[in-house]
Amino acid sequence: MKSLSYIDVFTPRSLEEALELLDKHRGELAVLAGGTDLIIQLRKAQQKAPNLLNIYMLDELRYIKHDNEIIKIGALTDFATITESPIIQRHAPVLAEAAATIGSVQILNKASIGGNIVNASPAADSLPALYVLNATLTLRSKTGTRKVAIEQFYKGYKKLDLQSGELLTEVSFPAMKQNQIGMFFKHGLRQGDAISVVNGAILLEVLNGYVKDARIALGAVAPTVVRATESEKTLIGQRLSEDVILKAAQACLTSISPIDDVRGSAAYRKEMCVNYLYMTLWQMMRMVNL
Amino acid sequence: MMQYSRVEKEFFFRLNGEEVRVRAPPGYTLLEVLRHILHLTGTKDGCSSGDCGACTVLLDGRAVHSCLTLISQVEGREVTTVEAVDEKVADAYARHGAVQCGYCTPGFVVATAYLLSKMHNPSDAEIREWLRGNLCRCTGYVKILKAVESLAGDDG
Repeated sequence: MKSLSYIDVFTPRSLEEALELLDKHRGELAVLAGGTDLIIQLRKAQQKAPNLLNIYMLDELRYIKHDNEIIKIGALTDFATITESPIIQRHAPVLAEAAATIGSVQILNKASIGGNIVNASPAADSLPALYVLNATLTLRSKTGTRKVAIEQFYKGYKKLDLQSGELLTEVSFPAMKQNQIGMFFKHGLRQGDAISVVNGAILLEVLNGYVKDARIALGAVAPTVVRATESEKTLIGQRLSEDVILKAAQACLTSISPIDDVRGSAAYRKEMCVNYLYMTLWQMMRMVNL
Repeated sequence: MMQYSRVEKEFFFRLNGEEVRVRAPPGYTLLEVLRHILHLTGTKDGCSSGDCGACTVLLDGRAVHSCLTLISQVEGREVTTVEAVDEKVADAYARHGAVQCGYCTPGFVVATAYLLSKMHNPSDAEIREWLRGNLCRCTGYVKILKAVESLAGDDG
């Protein structure tokens, strides 16, 4: 194991102190949250790893609140806490479902939602759920606070709308309504603890048996998570039927641009993406038409 | 390979019920501190990337990878290693022959203790679910599952 014995780690005792340090060492520090991905990346790095700002001790960034129909999650909240949270299970079950698939028990206990967002893997399992929930990110710096819609946060492969000196502190989104249903899907190469070959989330709003609104987000099939806008359009205003959901599933091909990699070819990803969308929509159709 | 200078800082935490103060590079993992500084070698270094679970310890009572935890993240917290886990877990593994080379066993034992701390009487499905982060390349898992099943609902 390559040791990181040569790096320095700053451990602030408060968010204020963390923002001070980020400001003082602009662009020089990598932020250490849970560390389940960052530490692996640093060990693999060919160059000298950067010094770290260890925010893992900042318990003030660990919370899940239900506030005026808005769900607020502190950036350091780990995925075990998220998936077990009664608030998330009740008001954002699609996120509870996604959180449970992120990794092994050991990973869920440590990996944070903020880390998953800023690490910006296109295959990150929490992201499609956060996209369909219309999540907003709160970014704090020494000089102020800024909010960004999650879709605007990603500018390209691992390119973020995040300035040096800014720290992601909170993720928030509207609680799901009574007439909304959401589902998450993940295709990995094995059942447990696998990086997604394709993943996605679907959120449907149904009124009198018709789809009033549809939001679909897909992961691991483009440089960032993408919305399947053509699939959404195919569903809106329709009653769910095998014909409609098949057309919607196939329509995702206009939104995705997967690559070949060790986990699967582009062609395989396209096929899996269509299949999983169809299978998931089929389950949702059964729930709606019961 | 280029050599970089090494920094050291002092860390304070609770380890297996006792207060510990160590000087270590702040970029050292908890695993490096346990094995190389404290010479507590029960915890194993398997894949160094959070896939195999051999390095599992409890951090504030929750199973985590010590290979993906920096000592800086442990400051002021409580760590429990395989050396301090209830012996009945390791005994069950021994009794059921759930050990071949034994390298994965400490991680399995800690993960099993964690599972039993969360649920007293896990089902077979729950055992598989909760141990999915631990890999064994020898036994084929059947004996491991039998060992854990034997502990389920055990009040002893």
